[in-house]
Amino acid sequence: MLEFSVLILFPLFCTGVCYLLKSIRTQYIISMFVSSFHLIFSLMIFIGWYEPNLPFFFSTDSLSKLFLLVISNVYFWVVLVSFSYLRRPALAKSEEGKRYYFLLLNFYLFANTAAILSNHFGMYWVAAEATTLSVAPLIYFYRNEEALEAMWKYLFLVSVGIAFAFIGILFLILASKGTILEGHQLFFSEFVKKAAVLNPVWLKASFIFIFVGLSTKIGIAPMHSGDVDATSNAPSPIAALMSGSLRITALLGVLRIFQIVSPTSTHEFAKTILVIGGLISLFVAFIYMFKVNNYKRLLAYSSVEHLGIIALGIGIGGIAFIGAMYHVIYNSLNKMVLFFTAGNIHRKFKTREVSGVTSVLNILPLTGWMFLLSFFAISAIPPFGIFFSELMIFQGMLFSDKPWILFITMFLLLFIFINMGKTIFQMLYSKNENEEILLEKEKFEIIHFATIVILILLIAIAVISPEILRDNILNISKDFGIKL
Amino acid sequence: MVFIQSCSHSIIQLMIGNFSVLASLGYKLIKNIMQNVLSILFCLSLFYLSVTSRVKAYVTVLQFQGVLLTVLLVFPFIGHFSIYALILPATLFFVKVILIPKYIKKIILDLDIKRTIEPTIQQITFLLIIIFSMTIIFIISNVLSKSTDIETIPFASGFTAIAVGIFVIIYRKKLIVHVAGFLVLENGIFLFGTAVASELPMMIEIGVLLDVFVVVFLMGIAINKISSTLSGFDVTALGRLKD
Repeated sequence: MLEFSVLILFPLFCTGVCYLLKSIRTQYIISMFVSSFHLIFSLMIFIGWYEPNLPFFFSTDSLSKLFLLVISNVYFWVVLVSFSYLRRPALAKSEEGKRYYFLLLNFYLFANTAAILSNHFGMYWVAAEATTLSVAPLIYFYRNEEALEAMWKYLFLVSVGIAFAFIGILFLILASKGTILEGHQLFFSEFVKKAAVLNPVWLKASFIFIFVGLSTKIGIAPMHSGDVDATSNAPSPIAALMSGSLRITALLGVLRIFQIVSPTSTHEFAKTILVIGGLISLFVAFIYMFKVNNYKRLLAYSSVEHLGIIALGIGIGGIAFIGAMYHVIYNSLNKMVLFFTAGNIHRKFKTREVSGVTSVLNILPLTGWMFLLSFFAISAIPPFGIFFSELMIFQGMLFSDKPWILFITMFLLLFIFINMGKTIFQMLYSKNENEEILLEKEKFEIIHFATIVILILLIAIAVISPEILRDNILNISKDFGIKL
Repeated sequence: MVFIQSCSHSIIQLMIGNFSVLASLGYKLIKNIMQNVLSILFCLSLFYLSVTSRVKAYVTVLQFQGVLLTVLLVFPFIGHFSIYALILPATLFFVKVILIPKYIKKIILDLDIKRTIEPTIQQITFLLIIIFSMTIIFIISNVLSKSTDIETIPFASGFTAIAVGIFVIIYRKKLIVHVAGFLVLENGIFLFGTAVASELPMMIEIGVLLDVFVVVFLMGIAINKISSTLSGFDVTALGRLKD
């Protein structure tokens, strides 16, 4: 019961407390407490020092332990930098947004944890809906027209997606008609055990509907547009939160249905769908990178690209699946650094246009270097983690029965790297023609501290490769019936 | 006296017995017929939706569909009545027939929205698209019903409503009509859910939560007075964010 209180009830309780408190500083301190406790508990559960015993509708397995740690980690860093972010002089309109900022963050944590720990499709669905509702007002933080439009599009697209996922769940009920699972509650664990009896036609339909519905949240093309708009117009901590954790929560739903499908005859079909989704995402990112004009959109499309790579890895199976799991961790860490530093750049230059940003390395040396390093990290340059996870995914592709996927992926990734690099180097190195920007020494802030620690983490996890993480990921692949 | 008493007793017993036998025999049949009739009425309301061009008519159709769904949910419980079973239909009635239509009407009045729906294609084309998709959905469901035990008519009607909801969202300009389209989609999911998951009422109950989104949409329109900031309720105004 203790873990349930700390992980789920405590954030919910603090949502209420934040509503009552006026002072943003107090709200921040309370939220810091919640996030630290959450992180410590998630870590303890992950390492195995604490055996969780969750009530009805909730449970843990290797997959949820890993994902819980990932979202908890992202949330911790986002809360840590949020206060310094809120103190910045912003538009007068966003004063109202500040009041509800921590309240919504706490609610976000509650909803995401509930979704990840749920053991029931209904529970997962409700929690996933709550995550959307919690993040939508945060996208509208700046209270301007672009933000309103982004929020509206995101909310509308995702709610249609969530409705589709609901249809998918109803199809799953249909698939169980006339079998021993008929009339049973929709527990993941039960369905995984007895998946072989499910009706393949309805199972296929269920997979497609859940995948398409949730890909509005994951940001897999062609359902990515709402997500990209939202990520590029939200304040940078929220963008980091969305890229690093919200997409992961939605991915979990797809992985759950994929796990059910795994032992059945529908498996190959599901794999093909995932590979197609991944390739389309890469292709969309590839096209966009030729005509970048907004650097936050660039990062949002980079998220589409990397979630596409993860979908590819899951779809290929074998060692690529393990690579995909590592990629989930590295991508969420890396996206945080990118969005935090992009937020700093936005504050200084007051524009999201690439053309308005020049000579970042001179004007903001610390942020500039962090941005450059995180760009290297996201482009899979060693010793950063993404290099190793992508290598595993590529290895899986090469030795699978469809090696041509590797060549397409390599080709697309090469051009994404070149075009993304061109844009980012232009931002970092081109000469400063904008005289309005004052040259003053950049102060060392908490956001720089966070980015440095995360970058070190990104290298350390890859180089040390903790045994506990490896074992956990191997357990996940065992749960999915993957033979290595 | 005793004779009359015993006679009347036995007659009453006979009547009750007969009734219960009749009820148990005919119950499933009547339920099926009722479900089919209500589903067909639901489909007819979709046709009306596809030819009308007034926002108010959309609200009326939504109310009508709400009543149909409520009746559909109340009906199975006539045989074995329980208070708990009435909670869901009552909520549904309150939300779909009273609360949301009233809110939409209030927004239309307050923000002085124009009364036409502003379609992007001709009404007759829209109707043809709907008829075409409805035919295909009914044929496919009929084929599928041979391999699985599903109620073809409610299943196909629900799915048609889902399709129509999406078409309304695609082919209409006004944001408030988009919300109506989402509601049609949601009603379709409900109908579909009652056809599919009648033995798992929890999932149908959860579906009510989709209405939370609708309320949020409407609040978004009302609070932000989108007509003033986004210059009208058009999606054409939603063009700032582009690649």
